[in-house]
Amino acid sequence: MKRVLLLALCAGLSLAALTTPAPKPKGVPKAQPKPLPILGTTFHSLPAGTGRSEVEAACYRCHSADILVQQRLNEKQWTAEVEKMMRWGAVVKESDKPVMVAYLLKHFGPGNKGFQPIRTQPVH
Amino acid sequence: MLQVNGYAINAETPLELLTDYLTPNDLFFVRSHWIPRMPDLKTWRLRIDGDVEKPLTLSLTDLRKMPVSDATCVLQCAGNGRGLYEPVLPGVQWRYGAAGNAHWRGVRVRDLLTRAGVKSSAAHLHTFGSDDPPGNVPPFHRSLELTKAMDDALLAYEMNGAPLPPLHGAPLRLVVPGWAGDHWMKWVVRLSPQAEPAKGFYMDTAYRYPLSPGAPGVSFKPEEMKPVTELSVKSNITTAPKKARAGKPVTIRGFAFSGAPGIARVEISTDDGDTWKAATLDPRHDPFAWRLWSYSWTPARPGRVQLLARATDSRGAVQPREPVWNQSGYLYNGWHGVTIEVTA
Repeated sequence: MKRVLLLALCAGLSLAALTTPAPKPKGVPKAQPKPLPILGTTFHSLPAGTGRSEVEAACYRCHSADILVQQRLNEKQWTAEVEKMMRWGAVVKESDKPVMVAYLLKHFGPGNKGFQPIRTQPVH
Repeated sequence: MLQVNGYAINAETPLELLTDYLTPNDLFFVRSHWIPRMPDLKTWRLRIDGDVEKPLTLSLTDLRKMPVSDATCVLQCAGNGRGLYEPVLPGVQWRYGAAGNAHWRGVRVRDLLTRAGVKSSAAHLHTFGSDDPPGNVPPFHRSLELTKAMDDALLAYEMNGAPLPPLHGAPLRLVVPGWAGDHWMKWVVRLSPQAEPAKGFYMDTAYRYPLSPGAPGVSFKPEEMKPVTELSVKSNITTAPKKARAGKPVTIRGFAFSGAPGIARVEISTDDGDTWKAATLDPRHDPFAWRLWSYSWTPARPGRVQLLARATDSRGAVQPREPVWNQSGYLYNGWHGVTIEVTA
């Protein structure tokens, strides 16, 4: 009985939608789905916080933030990563290392579960 | 595509789109260590030196005049599935889609090295791309055993019937059937047979895999590791409904591949691996290509049901429930499952 009532309601709503179309709002462009970005043109940004500017200055010379924001590393792992990048040429003052590791650990530590890749167009 | 890094470009294919025997070029995953420089094809040359009688310098036109060879086979990033490992590991957090199957066309490495007169002293083929990084960032220089290179490796200038796309290594990339993507050098400009393997970060530290399994989370010592070579047997489910009705059949689809030339079977379990039933293998197959499969499942009763897939390869290797944990997160091949909500 409930299902019949539900169907009737749905049918009624559909019919109403067909016979009395909602007036088109004037001056408001029809919403278009936003086209997906082209691969390699849009990047994740880093969250605000102490250490962000040091991380941006050191890391962005060679890679986007995407590779940072997907990590879930503990302090030992982040320290190893920062030191590896320093060996590879990242310009980091020794005195900035603790603030950078603290920033990376706070935002992209083991509890960082929310990473979503950026959905892009196929690669034409 | 699912961009996991924008600069340098790294992107995986959404798993639900990996349903074709040949993965379209525009959906094929992209793995880059560094930013490539697109060469001027008029001046581009491939150099062959090292332990050879006659060092060669070849243009693309020279290469295209050589006998053509081809292969249809899987390319999978060694790190595909790294993001699924527990405990978690640093690096690109690939999940399922850093793999694809393509038709590659080009010249045999064997033909090139024979023409150059490779010496018997050579045991390793050193491979060099043009994507050299700046500063102290280690270059992605690699080597693979000469026996494998001479056996079935190609230098491909075509992918799925089109000129090799820039992001996939134009004008020339190595194709190493059955082996992980770290051997498939892109933007190749130099091959050099030598007596010893290459050295450096991407040989001595990265792309190494345990000789035998250990405990998850416990790092292996260097002497307990060897280079990543062959792919591990695995299957993934690409297509499955989220909901089904009891008594009504639904179709599950996926792919399976291995470092062995063929896939012997794919099986499905609905009881957490206690019992397995055979899926139907698609007739299309080539050595080291992936095998598409399908499975018709009729749920018996309402409830949430997990379907697991596992593959067995032509050498008898069976996909394990859990992969071999390793500190770089390579060759993930644990069982892949989907959960389906069955209603009355």
